[in-house]
Amino acid sequence: MPRTGRLTTATALLAAMSALATACTGQGAGTASDDPKADVTLTFWHGWSAPSETKAIEDNIARFEKAHPNIKVEVTGNMTDDKINQALRAGGDKAPDVVSSFTTDSVGKFCNSRAFADLNPFLEKSGVDKAKVFPRTLLEYTEFNGNQCTLPLLNDAYGLVYNKTAFDAAGITEAPRTWSRFVEVARKLTTADASGDSYERVGLMPTFHGYETTPMRLAAQWSPTYFAADGSSNLARDPAFAKMLTAQKDLVAALGGYEKLERFRNTFGDEWSAEHPFHTGKVAMQIDGEWRAPMAKEAGVGFEIATAPLPVPDDQAGDYGKGYLSGTVMGIASGSRKQNAAWELVKYMTTDTEAVVAFANAIHNVPSTLAALESPALRVTPESKTFLDIARHPKSSTTPAKADGGTYQLTFTDFAYAVEKGDVADIPAGLARTDRQIDTDIAKAK
Amino acid sequence: MTGSRTLRTKRRRGALRTAAFMSPWLIGFSVFFVYPLLSTLYFSFTRYDGFRQPVPSGLDNWSYVFTDYPLFWPAMRNTLWLVLVMVTCRVVFGLGVGLLITKIKTGAGIFRTLFYLPYLAPPVAATLAFVFLLNPGTGPVNTLLDAVGLPAPGWFTDADWSKPALTALALWGVGDLMVIFMAALLDVPKEQYEAAELDGAGPWARFRHITLPNIAPIVMFAVVTGVIQAMQYYAQPLVAGKVAAGVIGGSGQQFEPGYPDKSTLTLPQLVHNLGFQRFDYGAACVVALVLFALSMAFTALLMRRRGGLIGADG
Amino acid sequence: MSSAHGPRRPSSAALHWIGVHALGVAAALFFVLPFVFLLLTSLMGDRQALTRDLWPDTWEWDNYTKVWHTPGFLTWWRNTLLYAGLGTLLTVVSSVPVAYALAKFRFRGRRLSLLLVIAMMMLPPQVVVIPMYLFWARQLDLSGTLWPLIVPMAFGDAFSIFLLRQFLLTIPDEYLDAARVDGCGEVRTLLRVVLPMARPGIAAVALFQFFCAWNDYFGPQIYASDNPAAWTLSYGLESFKGAHHTNWNLTMAATVLVMAPVIVLFFFAQKAFVEGVTLTGVKG
Repeated sequence: MPRTGRLTTATALLAAMSALATACTGQGAGTASDDPKADVTLTFWHGWSAPSETKAIEDNIARFEKAHPNIKVEVTGNMTDDKINQALRAGGDKAPDVVSSFTTDSVGKFCNSRAFADLNPFLEKSGVDKAKVFPRTLLEYTEFNGNQCTLPLLNDAYGLVYNKTAFDAAGITEAPRTWSRFVEVARKLTTADASGDSYERVGLMPTFHGYETTPMRLAAQWSPTYFAADGSSNLARDPAFAKMLTAQKDLVAALGGYEKLERFRNTFGDEWSAEHPFHTGKVAMQIDGEWRAPMAKEAGVGFEIATAPLPVPDDQAGDYGKGYLSGTVMGIASGSRKQNAAWELVKYMTTDTEAVVAFANAIHNVPSTLAALESPALRVTPESKTFLDIARHPKSSTTPAKADGGTYQLTFTDFAYAVEKGDVADIPAGLARTDRQIDTDIAKAK
Repeated sequence: MTGSRTLRTKRRRGALRTAAFMSPWLIGFSVFFVYPLLSTLYFSFTRYDGFRQPVPSGLDNWSYVFTDYPLFWPAMRNTLWLVLVMVTCRVVFGLGVGLLITKIKTGAGIFRTLFYLPYLAPPVAATLAFVFLLNPGTGPVNTLLDAVGLPAPGWFTDADWSKPALTALALWGVGDLMVIFMAALLDVPKEQYEAAELDGAGPWARFRHITLPNIAPIVMFAVVTGVIQAMQYYAQPLVAGKVAAGVIGGSGQQFEPGYPDKSTLTLPQLVHNLGFQRFDYGAACVVALVLFALSMAFTALLMRRRGGLIGADG
Repeated sequence: MSSAHGPRRPSSAALHWIGVHALGVAAALFFVLPFVFLLLTSLMGDRQALTRDLWPDTWEWDNYTKVWHTPGFLTWWRNTLLYAGLGTLLTVVSSVPVAYALAKFRFRGRRLSLLLVIAMMMLPPQVVVIPMYLFWARQLDLSGTLWPLIVPMAFGDAFSIFLLRQFLLTIPDEYLDAARVDGCGEVRTLLRVVLPMARPGIAAVALFQFFCAWNDYFGPQIYASDNPAAWTLSYGLESFKGAHHTNWNLTMAATVLVMAPVIVLFFFAQKAFVEGVTLTGVKG
C-alpha cells in the first residue's frame, strides 16, 4: 500500500475510534418532557455520611414521598464531588437524577459543562421568584454566568467555636473581636505539655491543614475580591490576601512555629469522630461551621461551649460579625430523563419551609431560605444564633463559582501552604504568580 | 501436484491453528491496547471535558502540560528521585538480604518467610500501616527515635522526608527481589568460590570478582524493572499523601494532590488528577502519552540486554 | 556459602555464625516490627490510639467486630473475591493457549507477538485509561461495576502469557512430539500432556493474578468508586478512615483484616509463590 494510502487509513481509523468513544455524549437540554405525575423512581445522591445526617435525609425523603405518592426516591449517601462528576459523565441508567454536593466549589464546573440542567425555566414554570426565596449570597454561589444550575440546600456559616470553661479559667471574658486580640487570646490559652517540646493544648490550630481553617475561610474576614471585573484573578491586586496570609503566618509563629504545630496536629483524631481535638481539649478555639458546637455536645464533652463570629482585622472592627458562607447545593443531572419529577424533589428540598427547617434542625445547619431563617419552628440555641447572624450579615461573603470548579481555590491554598511554612520570601510576587496560574487554568477549562 | 497441495493445506491449517490459539490475546491486544492508545493520541489534540464533544485544539494540551500545569515538573522530578534513590536502595538492600539469607544456617526457612511476608501486604494496607508507624505525633517509630535521642522527622508530613518514608515502605516489601537474588546467588557455581578461596581471595574479592559478574544480568533485570515500577508508582504515594494530609475521600475539602508540597506526586497520579478530578481529558491524555513513551523506552532497554527477557531461542 | 568451604578455625566460624545471625535477627525485626505495632494499635481504645503509647491499656478485641460490621465491609470482601477469583480463572483459561502457541508453535510474527506481549506487560494502566473508561462507561454503561476489570482478563493477560511461556519453554519438545505421534491434536496435546506438566507454572500465574487483583487500587478507583456496592477491599480500606470517621485503632484493625488473607494464602502456597517470583527474573 502506498504511504499516503496507509496514512489515510490510519486517519479514518482514528476518526472512527474517536466517534466510537464519544457517541453517547449528545445528552443535554430539552429533555424535560416527562410527566411529573407519572409513577417514577428517582435516584438521589448526597454526600452526608454520619448516621444522624443520613437519617435526617431519609426523614425528609419520607415526607416528600408522602406528599408525592407517585415518586419513589432511591438515596445514596457519602458521594464526593469526584464521584458525582464521574458518574454524570458516564451517564446511563445508574447515573443519578438529583445530586447534592457539599462543595460550592464545583458549581462553576457543573454549570459550565452543562452537567446540571439550568433551573431557571423550572423556577419560572412553578412561579417561584428565587430572589424572594433565597438570600442573595446563596444565589451567588449556586449560579454561574446566569445559569442557575443548582439551588442552595442549607447553608454553612463559619465562625469561632470555643471552650468557655478554658476561657473562664484563663480570665478571658469575651470572644476576641479583632485579630490582634485573637492572637493574644490564642497565646494565652496555649499550654505546654510536661516535656516542654509539645503542647497540652493550643489556643487554636492555626495551620491551613487544621480541619476547617482554610485560607478561604480566613480571607473572608478581610472581605476579599477574588476576581476583577474582567474575570481575571485578583489575588495580588487586592491587598486583603497578602494581609490575611501575613497575619496567619505571624499567628503560626506566635503559637510556637509551623513544625511544632504540625507535629501536634498529627495527634488529632478524625474531624468527624468523637476524638476531634476540640472535644478532647487539645484545642481551645476552633474555626468551624455551625455544626461543631452541637456535635461536641453530642459527644458529651466535659466543658462549656460558646460560639462567636471570627475576629476581623483591627482596621475593620466595624464589620465584626461577618464570616465565610458556603453550603450544600442541589441540582438536576442534565442527562436525566425524569427532570420534571426531579424538579419536584429539588423544589421540595430547597424551597419548602417546613422541609428546610426540619432538615436544618436535624443536622444543625443554617437554613437556606429567607422564610426558613425566620420560621418559629427553627430551633435556635445561643450557639446556633451566632451562625444565623453570620449568615444574615451583609458583609459575609463566599468564593465565586468559576469554570474550573474549585481549582483556583486549590491553587491559592497551595500558595498559602508555602507561605505558612516560611517558604515564601516575597508574598506579593508569589500572589502575582498564583494569579497567572489561576488565569491559565480557567482559560483552559472554559 | 498433490504433494504441494497437502503442504499448502497443512500450512494453512497450521496458520489457522496458531490464530485460534492466539485469538484471545489478538482480541485483547486490539481492544485494550491498540484502540485506546490511538484514541489517547487523538484526544491529546482535542479539548474534551466529557460533556461537550471533543474539539480539535492543536497543541494546546501539550503546551499546557509542559509549561503551565503546575504539577507536571514536580512529578517528573519526583520520578527521577525515585529512580535514582529508591530503585538503588531497593536493589542494594534486596541483594544484601538475599546474600544474608544464603549465609544463614539456622532457621533459614523461618527467616526467609519473615523477610518475604511484607511483600505480600496489599499496597494500600501497607501504606496505611506506614503512615501510622511514621506519624510524627503518635507513631511508634518517632517514639522510639525520641527515646534514644535521635531526631524524629516529620516523615509523610514533611516534603523533605516523604520520599524517604516511601523508600522505607519499599524496602519493607523487598521480598520479591530477595527471592530473585537468592535464587541467582545459589546458581553461582560453587567451584568458582572454592578455586578463588584456594587462591587466597578474601570475602570482598570473592564477591567482587565472582558473585557480581555471575549475577550481573539479574541485577540489571532488577534495576530496569525497578525503574519501570517507579514510573508506574501510584497507590502508595497517593494513599500516603491523602492519609497524611488528613483528608481521605472525606467531605467538604477537596483533596490536595501530592501532599506534602507536591512531594509525593507521580505521573500516573497526574492522569487521575487531570482526567478524573479536573475532567480535562485532553491534557490527561498528554500525560498518559509521556508515561507511555518513558515506559516503552525502558522496556526497550530491558529487552536489549544480552539474552534478553525473551530467552535465547525467542 | 563460602564459610562452609575451606579450612577455618572453629572460633572464627562461630564468630561468623553469630555475626550472620545477629544481622538476620536485626533484619527480621525490621520486617516484623511493623506488623507487631499494627496489631497492638488495632487493639487499643479510641483515645489511646491517639497517644504515643505502644502497649494497649485495655485490650479492645471488640475493634475487630466493629470493623467487621462496618457497613460495606462484607460487600468489599465479596467483590474482591469475585474480582480476584473470576479474574484469575479467566486469565488462566485465556492465557494458556496463547503462551503455548508462543512457546511451541513456529509461525511468522512470533517474535513480534512476543515483543508486543512484553510491551503490553510494561504498559501502565493509566496510559489507556481515558478511552477505556469512556468505552466501558459510555458504550457499555458498566461504570460502577467490576466488569470493566474482569472482562479484559478473558482476553489474555500479558504478564501471565509471558510467565507461562517462560515455563512452557522448559518442557522438552519430545513429550509433545510423542503425544502428536500418538495421534493427539494440538488441543488434546495441550490438555493431556502440557497442562499436567505446567501445573507449577499455572499455579504461580494464578497466584500472581489473584494477588494482583486483590491488591489493585487504581482499577476499582476508576470504575467502582461511584458505586459503594462495587468497592473492593483495597479501595474501601483507603476510604475507610475518611468515610467512617474512624481513628487509627479501627483503621489498623481493618488493615490487619485486609492483610490477613493474603498472608494465610501464602503459607498454603509458599512454594508456588517463590517459584513464580524466580521465574520472572531468572529463567530468562
